[in-house]
Amino acid sequence: MSKFNTQNRVPCGLSPSIATMLGFALTLIAVQPVAAQSPSDITTLAGSCANCHGTDGRSPGPIVSIAGRPETLLLSQLKAFKSDTPPPGTTIMNRIAKGYTDEQIGALAKHFAAISANEPTKKRRK
Amino acid sequence: MTSAETKFSRRQALAMLGGVGATAFSFSTPAIAQRSAGRVVVVGGGFGGATAARYLKRGNPNLNVTLLDPARRFYTCPFTNLHFGGLRTFEQQGHGFDDLRRIGVQIVHERANDVDAKGKTVTLSGGRKLPYDRLVLSPGIDFRWGALEGYDQAAAELAPHAWQAGPQTVLLKKQLEAMEDGGLFILVAPDNPFRCPPGPYERASMVAHYLKTRKPKSKLLILDAKDNFSKQGLFQDGWKKFYADIIEWVPRSKDGKVAKVDAKAREVETEFGKKHKAAVLNVVPPQKAGFIAERAGVTNAGGWVPVKPQTFESAQVADVYVVGDATIAAPMPKSGFCANAQGKVAAAAIVASLAGREAPRASWANTCYSLIAPNYGISVAGVYEVADGKIVEIKGGGVSPREASDEFRKLEAEYGVGWYNAITQDTWGSKPA
Repeated sequence: MSKFNTQNRVPCGLSPSIATMLGFALTLIAVQPVAAQSPSDITTLAGSCANCHGTDGRSPGPIVSIAGRPETLLLSQLKAFKSDTPPPGTTIMNRIAKGYTDEQIGALAKHFAAISANEPTKKRRK
Repeated sequence: MTSAETKFSRRQALAMLGGVGATAFSFSTPAIAQRSAGRVVVVGGGFGGATAARYLKRGNPNLNVTLLDPARRFYTCPFTNLHFGGLRTFEQQGHGFDDLRRIGVQIVHERANDVDAKGKTVTLSGGRKLPYDRLVLSPGIDFRWGALEGYDQAAAELAPHAWQAGPQTVLLKKQLEAMEDGGLFILVAPDNPFRCPPGPYERASMVAHYLKTRKPKSKLLILDAKDNFSKQGLFQDGWKKFYADIIEWVPRSKDGKVAKVDAKAREVETEFGKKHKAAVLNVVPPQKAGFIAERAGVTNAGGWVPVKPQTFESAQVADVYVVGDATIAAPMPKSGFCANAQGKVAAAAIVASLAGREAPRASWANTCYSLIAPNYGISVAGVYEVADGKIVEIKGGGVSPREASDEFRKLEAEYGVGWYNAITQDTWGSKPA
């Protein structure tokens, strides 16, 4: 299962089937399967994050973006939230982070670190 | 992209590649069918349906996904309370379907009138039958007209519910603005289960904010069919702080349950016979799953939809997936966030099932912000998974702390806006308005 909307992410001129394959390959590179957490599982797990942090972790508003941030940073912050030592200026993530296992937190940090912070610009069709 | 555009660009491409033969072929066969990995029809363009459609295309761009909603613009219930408070325009809660078109979802502005689950077709209001391999229903709620004596569709034109965003929201706002200073606003709150558990209490807060700033001699009475409600302690703390002279909450145990409504007189009568007369009467009536769920045969005797927790496929009808407020998903609340989260889980399950794979492990979350006053927000959060065949809430989550600084409440008010911007981007592709 492709993690990205491959249609929007490949240059024009590639056929959709190649695009899908490429998207799939990127997924394999980006998200190493963690034990008991398959690539499609992590997509489902990460789906909930989008509701506040934006689709693919790119926030359109005052909540921080999490796409493309260093994995170690995401991991240490999630652990801080989970252990009720949240960074200042936060209100809810300590409550949410407690709902996830350390394994899931590790997989989420890896997942969002592998997504580019900015949506790739689309080439215009002439 | 509309189907006409799809057809055109494919014709162009085929003509360039293969000449006349290929062009003729593209005339005789619907373009989309040639490479479709399956046909999915989604009924309802709200948080659940629009999200399902988007994540179906993300999961497999070769799926043929059609989204049905008679409305050209979907207005969310979340944040309409802020409109009553005078903090947002009505239009700010409106979302179009252009971004879903852009990613290849076909949008059809017709109502789904019927479902033939055996023949696997949906009948549209225009009479056309749409075939499907998998069906997603995100029908939202309908009202049990008459379940509360005296409250039917005609009564709702006099005493609005405003529990589906649209003309009802506009009507209640108009009545609130026309009310004289010193008037009584009565909000009738329903028993569980109902759409948006904290909703009536956020509405009371925002209406009270409007009254306090514009019509300070007015009062607000909440007549409740329950003794407890969502985020109760936090709401009551906030009311004490901001609206002590305005809001009065009457629980069921203190004769708060309304048994009868006289919409013309704007008068209600409680279980034990006490009458209350309002200047503006806002009745949130008993609810059930949206009507198309009944037509599809997925509702139970209680009027709601039992689902298989792992996939949100109907427990009663194969290949029909149901998401959002219509479902029985407790301990997940009937919220826009949950509808979105369920839409993603159902989409992933459908993509997997059409490819002959097992559904990924389900996971959901919920975050719900309520605004009590400008710069004073509160929240509740939850994370959910499947254990022993049931949806369970994982330890953690919960409401904002009772003891918190004004700065904390201000941040939660800001994060509430951040949540709205993010989830409406994730669902409809909207930009902050």
